[in-house]
Amino acid sequence: MSEAKVSRAEWGTRFGFLMAMIGAMVGVGNIWRFPFVTGENGGGAFILAFLILLFLLAVPGLIAEVALGRYAGKGVIGSIREAVGSGGLVGLGLVVVLVNFALMTYYAPLIGWTLYYMLHSFLFTFTGSGFEAGAFLDAFFANPAMMIAMHTVVVAMMAGVLYAGISNGVERVVTFAVPALVIALAAMAVRAVTLPGAGEGLAFTFTVQWEYLTFSDTWIAALGQALFSTGLGWGIAITVGSYLREYDDVPLGGGVFTAIGEASIGILAAFAIFPLVFAYGLEPDAGAGLAFVSLVQVFPEMPGGALWAILFFTGFFLAALTSGIVITEVLTTTVEEETPMNRGQTVLAVCGLIWLFGLPSAYSVEFLDFADLVFANWGLPLATLCIIVAIGWFFGPERLRVLSVNQNAGIYVGSFWNPIVKYVIPAVMIFIMGFFAWENFGEDIMIAGMAVLVTFPVVGYLIMRYLEGPSQPRDAVGPAGGDD
Amino acid sequence: MTGVFEMEVEAWIGIGVAIVMFWGIASWALVRTLRQEDRKVELVGRQKRLDTYSPAALDDLREFIENNPEDPYVEDAREKYNRCVENLREIEEYYYDWTDAEVDSLESL
Repeated sequence: MSEAKVSRAEWGTRFGFLMAMIGAMVGVGNIWRFPFVTGENGGGAFILAFLILLFLLAVPGLIAEVALGRYAGKGVIGSIREAVGSGGLVGLGLVVVLVNFALMTYYAPLIGWTLYYMLHSFLFTFTGSGFEAGAFLDAFFANPAMMIAMHTVVVAMMAGVLYAGISNGVERVVTFAVPALVIALAAMAVRAVTLPGAGEGLAFTFTVQWEYLTFSDTWIAALGQALFSTGLGWGIAITVGSYLREYDDVPLGGGVFTAIGEASIGILAAFAIFPLVFAYGLEPDAGAGLAFVSLVQVFPEMPGGALWAILFFTGFFLAALTSGIVITEVLTTTVEEETPMNRGQTVLAVCGLIWLFGLPSAYSVEFLDFADLVFANWGLPLATLCIIVAIGWFFGPERLRVLSVNQNAGIYVGSFWNPIVKYVIPAVMIFIMGFFAWENFGEDIMIAGMAVLVTFPVVGYLIMRYLEGPSQPRDAVGPAGGDD
Repeated sequence: MTGVFEMEVEAWIGIGVAIVMFWGIASWALVRTLRQEDRKVELVGRQKRLDTYSPAALDDLREFIENNPEDPYVEDAREKYNRCVENLREIEEYYYDWTDAEVDSLESL
């Protein structure tokens, strides 16, 4: 084992750790999805439901993940091994790694779209005469060489940052990029709310319609937002937590700040975007098209539109890029620990594979959409379930609470936390996967999702069983201390 | 066209809730955790060590050790407990809200 593998990196500052968490969790969905989902589901009532679920599920779940990472001082597979012992069950960690890898194969090309738009914002393309937003996007999608080129540049950028390491690479980028994103959105928000007609957008998003709290759809939408936007159970929090320093807190920064801070950026995006959408008569439910088509049409009509386009697409790109970097760090950390490769070799291998397997999504938007639907609906909940089961049912929440959660903690976490981690979050994850299956019953994405649910755990188990031999649970004398 | 100041009261309530409950809590958590960090750095710089558990958390840790003597993690738990107790006895200024009487009553396990 090399010297580099003996000494483990740490975050240089507390702020760096916090920004890494936020940078990972804030992605493109915060900007184009959150404001619309809020407006469609009762505005302020949805926000209340979302807040309740954040505190009930996301904050406890993130605390559990960061605490396990800090306790084990390892990436995903090493931390899962700490929880379940050696053997095939370590495959739970491999499932998380495989899901993250699959996620990055279509997320990297998507970051490439944001890079393309950011570059064109600096070229003042969107405010040029005769510019057509729809035709511009169609031309981009019809140009696979350009999409692959953007994908390649993004992967190379991520590799460069990751190669520089945790403190010199990832931390330096996120401590600049996340505040820059907030400033960009805040500047846009100030401009947007002062436009004539801005009130309609704010009213759509924030008007409290209390009756929505009695609708199951509101709570399911809030549940999806609370689980997916916070990146709970994707291995990000384990990995970021594994680089914490000796005296660092877990629950206040890794739990409360991360979950609520990440959601706050969605709120800021609502102030920045929805007044524009309504002031200029755009369709609020355009999803990805909102950013890449609808808003692009607005900039030429705004005074100083070229500057606002630069601000928006730079923020958009930074949100996407920081998520990509930290998600790829999940893979890099684990692969480096589990193989004889050093960091440089690992970054090259991981990013090379992401580039290679990302080519289909870079080439075809339809393939990207399909992969996104399959992994968002089933792959990511499966990863969350693997991590939470490892913590709740193998390591034991009470053990983790006394050994890691409350050590050097900024807030005290009581034993009420144990059943949430052991029972509530796993039950919710199973419910949400079942709900998605019921909603898409018999469709291609449901069949592909079921294939992921079956093959990933089986492959993970068999590979780790082969590599590690028969299961050797660390807890040879029963789960007394780990039970709640 | 509805201007911001022409919005109905329900919209203003929603905006207020969103700002206070999200940006308010996030800002509170950020400021609090960064101040705690400063305090820890200052104490470690001066005393070379810190109390690593609050009174309630150390009490939970002691209960865990006493109730689970066969637990495979109990040695690690004991080490953490004893280290905190040792630190508390040796430092002059506590990070958590310990009283001298509470510290005097602690025993290593």
